[in-house]
Amino acid sequence: MAELTYTRVFDAPRELVFRCMLEPEHLTHFWGPAGTSAPLDGITVDPRPGGVFETVMINDADGGSYAMCAVYTEIVPPERIVWTEPGTGMITTSTFTDLGGTRTEVRIHQADVPDSFRSPEDQARFLTSLDRFAAHLETLVP
Amino acid sequence: MTILDERLDATFAALADPTRRAILARLATGDATVNELAEPFDMTLPGVSKHLKVLEQCGLISRTRRAQFRPCHLERERLDAAADWIETNRRIWAQRFDKLEAHLRDIQDTSHG
Repeated sequence: MAELTYTRVFDAPRELVFRCMLEPEHLTHFWGPAGTSAPLDGITVDPRPGGVFETVMINDADGGSYAMCAVYTEIVPPERIVWTEPGTGMITTSTFTDLGGTRTEVRIHQADVPDSFRSPEDQARFLTSLDRFAAHLETLVP
Repeated sequence: MTILDERLDATFAALADPTRRAILARLATGDATVNELAEPFDMTLPGVSKHLKVLEQCGLISRTRRAQFRPCHLERERLDAAADWIETNRRIWAQRFDKLEAHLRDIQDTSHG
């Protein structure tokens, strides 16, 4: 099982940082890494266990796009968000720690999804979310 | 991007074991036989052979057929592919965090006046 961790301390209250990670209006400002953007109309957030988390990152240079389709498995405001990407077998846990004052530590932990998570239900849920994603894309293309 | 293809998956699974990582570290200094690899570990030859089979199956090492002792050789390309994936993923989150930092500054400036 491969595991990766990324940590950063932000100068902002925990509730606000937590909302940034969960609300499309905020995600659109930072979800795409440098040289890419994550348009608001490509972000779907259904913040509950089993709800979908989908984003599209557009490469600013060539217009190429990369879609991420995930399913939330745990949401504990304002402490923790967990989603899995059934397509890649990745589970991502975001942990928000109040460091006092207005400082907040965000810890991203990524690991392979244990085989037990890759149930038929998970797969079905993923396919459903892909269908919804495809339908959503169709509405964007005239 | 976060794409763990099957080959990378197998590579990371192989790397998840401390003994196998130690074997790779030893092979980074040069080829070695099973006997030489078993020496620093308190392990039987079959035990070491089992680890070597895992490393060989995911392409992290190869074993030459030319000599009787079949020395093991580190395949750096596969290790590099794993390192590249980790680096790309790390960069994505670093850049996201940079942007989030700027965004948080913007919205807090606005809300404070």
